[in-house]
Amino acid sequence: MCVAEACENPSRMSELPLAGMRVLEIGGGVAAAFATRFLAGYGADVVRSEGAHGALTGDEEAALLGGKRRIAASDAQLRALALAADALVEDGMPGALAARGLDPLALRAAKPALVITSLTAFGQHGPYANYEATNLVAHAAGGIHSLTGVRTRPPLQNGANQALKLLGMNGFGATLTAYYGAQLQGEGDWLDISAQECAAGMLELYGPKSGLDGVPCPRLGNRTNAVWGLYPASDGYAGVCTLHRQVPALFALIGDPALQEPKFMDPLERIKDDRELGDKVQAWFAPRSKAELVELGAKHKVPIGAVMTPLDLLSNASLNERGFFDEVETPGGRARVPGRMFLGIDWRAGALATPGADTAAVIRDWLGAGGAR
Amino acid sequence: MKRLPLEGVRIADLTMMWAGPYATRVLAEMGAEIVKIESPRAWDNVRTLLPVEHPEPWNASVYFNDYARDKKSLTLDLAQPRGRELFLQFVAKCDVVIENYRAEVLDKLGVGYEVLRKARPDVILVSMAGFGKTGPERDLVGFGPIVEMMAGQSSLAGYGDDGIPYKTGISYGDPVGGLAAVGAVVLALIQRRRTKRGVWIDLAQRETMAQMAGEAFAAASLRGEKPIHYGNRHPHWAPQGVYPVAGEDQWLAISARDDAEWRALAGASGASELAALPLAERRARHDELDARIRAWSHQQDPQAAMEALQALGIPAARVLNSNDIHWDPHLLARESWNFLPHPCMQPWPQPASAWRLREANPQLRNSAPLFGQHNREIL
Repeated sequence: MCVAEACENPSRMSELPLAGMRVLEIGGGVAAAFATRFLAGYGADVVRSEGAHGALTGDEEAALLGGKRRIAASDAQLRALALAADALVEDGMPGALAARGLDPLALRAAKPALVITSLTAFGQHGPYANYEATNLVAHAAGGIHSLTGVRTRPPLQNGANQALKLLGMNGFGATLTAYYGAQLQGEGDWLDISAQECAAGMLELYGPKSGLDGVPCPRLGNRTNAVWGLYPASDGYAGVCTLHRQVPALFALIGDPALQEPKFMDPLERIKDDRELGDKVQAWFAPRSKAELVELGAKHKVPIGAVMTPLDLLSNASLNERGFFDEVETPGGRARVPGRMFLGIDWRAGALATPGADTAAVIRDWLGAGGAR
Repeated sequence: MKRLPLEGVRIADLTMMWAGPYATRVLAEMGAEIVKIESPRAWDNVRTLLPVEHPEPWNASVYFNDYARDKKSLTLDLAQPRGRELFLQFVAKCDVVIENYRAEVLDKLGVGYEVLRKARPDVILVSMAGFGKTGPERDLVGFGPIVEMMAGQSSLAGYGDDGIPYKTGISYGDPVGGLAAVGAVVLALIQRRRTKRGVWIDLAQRETMAQMAGEAFAAASLRGEKPIHYGNRHPHWAPQGVYPVAGEDQWLAISARDDAEWRALAGASGASELAALPLAERRARHDELDARIRAWSHQQDPQAAMEALQALGIPAARVLNSNDIHWDPHLLARESWNFLPHPCMQPWPQPASAWRLREANPQLRNSAPLFGQHNREIL
C-alpha cells in the first residue's frame, strides 16, 4: 500500500503506530533517507526536501524513498514546515541548517516539542566537526574499517555505504526515542549523532579489550580462528561460527577421529593448532555446496551459514514466506527492496514519488491555505 | 534537569551474547531500567568467552562489562518452576521483555508470549532470533557473521582482485540487529500508548541486516546485478582509497569527489602534473594515481596528513585502530570516553552514548553489575 492508498483508507492509516507523526527530511543523503525510510513505513507522513542533485543513486532512491512525499520548497517554507513537524531529520554539515534560517536552537525555542535529529560524520562540535567526509572517510574514523580485511593488505571497507547506513539506523531509533519522550514530556530535543561515535562504541570485544590493554587488535580477515570463519565451498563461500559448547557438534559433523584429540577439544590447546584445525575444516567445507552446508548446520545445530548475494536472496523461501520484500515502481522497472524491519507491527509499502511532486499538497496539508499562498 | 525519554520504562532482558545486550545498553542510555536475567546454571556466554586472570572471571570480562553498564543483574533459572514463577511475577512489573534465543527456546521454557500476557496483559515482547520465528529457516543457528553472510552483506565486500567476499571485522549483524530492536521497543511503546495493547515483535536479525544493503537488492531485482568488489574505491569518484602512512599498520582514507578535490590532492601529494585529469582519465588510471599518492603518503605522519588534506577541503581521515580510537583528539574533545570504576576491573574507556540528546544529556551512571548483584533488591 502506498501513501496515497493509505490516505484514502483512514482505518488502515490509523492502525499504523506512527499515524499522525509528521517528519521533515532535509539534506537528502543516505543517512537521513535511511532513518526516515522506516518512520514512513510505520505510518509517519515523511516529507523529503531534496538534497544536492545525485545525492542518491536511482537504486538508493528505490530502496529508501518509498512512501515519502517529495517537495521542492524555499527556505522560508521549510522553516514553516519544520514548525509544523514533529521531527526534523537532516544530514547536512554542521551549521548548514542555520545558514538557511533553520537554526535548530531557534526552531526548538519556537516549538519545544520538536525533535531535531542531526546526522553527520563527526558531530556538531569538536575539532573535526567541519571536516569533509565521505562514507569511506567516516568508516575509517569509526574503527570498524581497521578491523576488516586481512593483515597483509590495507583495511577494507564494507559494501553499500555502511558508515552512512549505520548512522541512519541510529537516526531511526534515536528519532523515535526522542519522539516518544516528547509525547510523554511535551519536549523534544536536538540530537547530535555522528557516524564516528556510532561505530566507535560498537567495536565488539576489540574496542574494550584495546581500551584495557592498550594493544590494537589486528585484522583477522575471514577467520578469527578455525571454528569462527569463512571457507571456500564448492559453489562459493560459507562459514561456521561456533562457541566452545558447539564445537563437539561441529567435530562430529566433520567426522575426523583426530578431532577428538585433546589438542582440538580443549579450547586453550585448540588455538595452538589453529592452522591444522583450519585445514581440516576447510577440507570438509570445500567439496560441499553452500546449500548442503547450511542444511547440515541446521540439522546438527551447528551455526553454519553461506555467503548469499542479494540476487540469491530475492528467491529465498524464508524471506518470501515472511513477506520481507516491498515492490516499488521505478523508472527502470519494478524493484524489490527490503521492506518492514520486523513483524508484529503494521507496515505499509510506499510508492516512489517524483522529486517535487508533492510540494503543493504538503504545504496545503501542513500549513493550510495560508501556507499555500 | 530534563528527563531521558525512556525513564520509567522497565525491561526484562533475557538476551545474551552481543545483539540483545547491545540493544539494551542503548535502551539503558536512554533511561530505561534494564534488568538482565541470567540462569545461575548458564550465564551469558560472553562473561567467560575470553580467559581472564581473576578470582571471579565471570565478573571481570571487559567484553561483557562494556555492554552491561547501567543494567541490573538478576539470576533466575527459567528451567525450574520456581524460577519461572518468580520471572512471571517480575514480568508483571515490566513494560518490555526482550530475548534473542533461538526461535523455539522461549516456548520450550514455558514463558512464550501468551504466558507473558497472562502475567502482564499489555506486555511488549521483542524476540530477535537470527532468522525469525517463522519460515523454513527459523531453526538456523546464527551469530553476527552468519547473519551478515546470509543477509547478502558479506557478498558486497572484497578487495576486487581475488573474488573473495569478506565479513566485517566485527560481528556486524549483532549491533545492527540490536539497533533495530531498540526501534522495535520504542515503536511498540508508542503503539501501546495509543492502543493500550502490547505486541509481540518478531525481529529476524538477518532481515535487519539486509536493510543495510537495500540498493543492492534494487540492482539485483531490476538488472540482475551481482556484487562488484570495489576494494576501497568508489563506484564513480576517483581517486579514492586507503593509503599507508608512517607507523606500523597506519593508514589514511582519502576521497576525491570532484575535479577541484582532485586538483587539491594532486598538488598536496606531489602529482601536480596530473591535476588536470578529468574524471574518466582518473578512473582509467586509478592504479597509477594510487601509486603516486602512496609514494607521498607513506612518509607522512597520519594525523598531520589528515589535518593538512582537510585544510585543503579534501575528505580524509586516519583509519583508527581499536586502540588509537581511544586517543583520537576529536573524540577526546567530545568527551566520547568515560572511565567508570568497577569492583573487579581497572577502569577502561567506555563509550558515551552515541545518541547525544543535547538537552536531556545522557550520561553513564553505573558500571556493569556483578552476577546476581540485584537479586535481593528486585525479588
